[in-house]
Amino acid sequence: MATHAEIRPVEKRFRLHPELMAGPVYRKYEKASRKIWDPKLLDYEQDSADWARMTEGQREGIVTITVRFEGGEQEVTDELLPMLAAAHALGRFDWVMYLATFMVEEARHSEFFNLWHSRVAELDRPEEKARHWPPRDHTVDPSGRFTTGEPVYEGLPKYGKKLTAAVETGDEAAIEGAFVQFATLYCAWIEGVLTMPSYEIVIDTTEMWDVLPTLRLGFKSILGDEGRHITFGTQASRILIEKNPAYEALAHDVIDEYRANAVGMLEYQRNVPGLELEKYQRQKVRHYLNRCREMGIAPDQTLVDQILDPEIDFVVGVEAG
Amino acid sequence: MARRWQCLEVGCGAVITAGSDDELVEAANAHVGEAHGSYELEEMILAVAEESPEGEGS
Repeated sequence: MATHAEIRPVEKRFRLHPELMAGPVYRKYEKASRKIWDPKLLDYEQDSADWARMTEGQREGIVTITVRFEGGEQEVTDELLPMLAAAHALGRFDWVMYLATFMVEEARHSEFFNLWHSRVAELDRPEEKARHWPPRDHTVDPSGRFTTGEPVYEGLPKYGKKLTAAVETGDEAAIEGAFVQFATLYCAWIEGVLTMPSYEIVIDTTEMWDVLPTLRLGFKSILGDEGRHITFGTQASRILIEKNPAYEALAHDVIDEYRANAVGMLEYQRNVPGLELEKYQRQKVRHYLNRCREMGIAPDQTLVDQILDPEIDFVVGVEAG
Repeated sequence: MARRWQCLEVGCGAVITAGSDDELVEAANAHVGEAHGSYELEEMILAVAEESPEGEGS
């Protein structure tokens, strides 16, 4: 029988140490622990009253976004585990601690949209919500230059499986490379670029119509959590890319795979009168440049030019995660 | 030491400086709100905030 020391030397059973606890990722864990909010404690009465007086067109404009946020939040909750397993495999205990809060927060976001749909829009069953999820067959680039993908529902499971397979090999470089790709897709591209305009569009729209204060509060609370998620992914990727610069190409590859989802214009930008359309394209570029800066990688200027090119004119569905 | 953050909105590049992280987040968001009708998240500003020599930026 193995001795206690052979199983794990006693001094190695203590993973927390002062340097780790002074680091930026541990600080995110501490902040997440302080910033807990409870969707069940929010007041949905005003939203319900607003919903009753909104036009059918206004209600549909909002709910086509919120159903995709509910689906997206549930997907990202369910697909986060490979990143946590990889953090464990890489021996980064501060990442493990922070990712535990990350997963709870994604679950909380799922709960918020579920409650809001039930208490305000009176949508309880999956099939009721599905009726408000527009088909994607009209989100096609007529020039044929771009093909939109499904970064949330196809990309995350695919890159999650790749990361899980790398973890099972125990090969550190393989885990790091797969981690950079998963974190780039999940945190930098989906959360940090594709989803960001959707938050702002909902906040802008509900302010413009002076309705749904709790939906707006929920979005702002979620954004506070997402700021930690996004910068965890970009900072963790930066650490790994600084260790091995070859990982930068892997980050660009995964963004390139889903570049059309940023180049196209969100259908919601077209559907809501009064919104400044170019604002959200410029915003996507700003977020992309910010994510590259956080990751310490060079932006792809052709992607920036394509997002801003008024000649490229097609719409894409809302990405939410 | 002052803290520094640069706006990456297309065509902007404004450099914001402040005496502390809290003041930097407030000043950066005042800039993004007034100049671009948008906002930056606190964590995103702090993730790339740098130390700045005195007197630089706005």
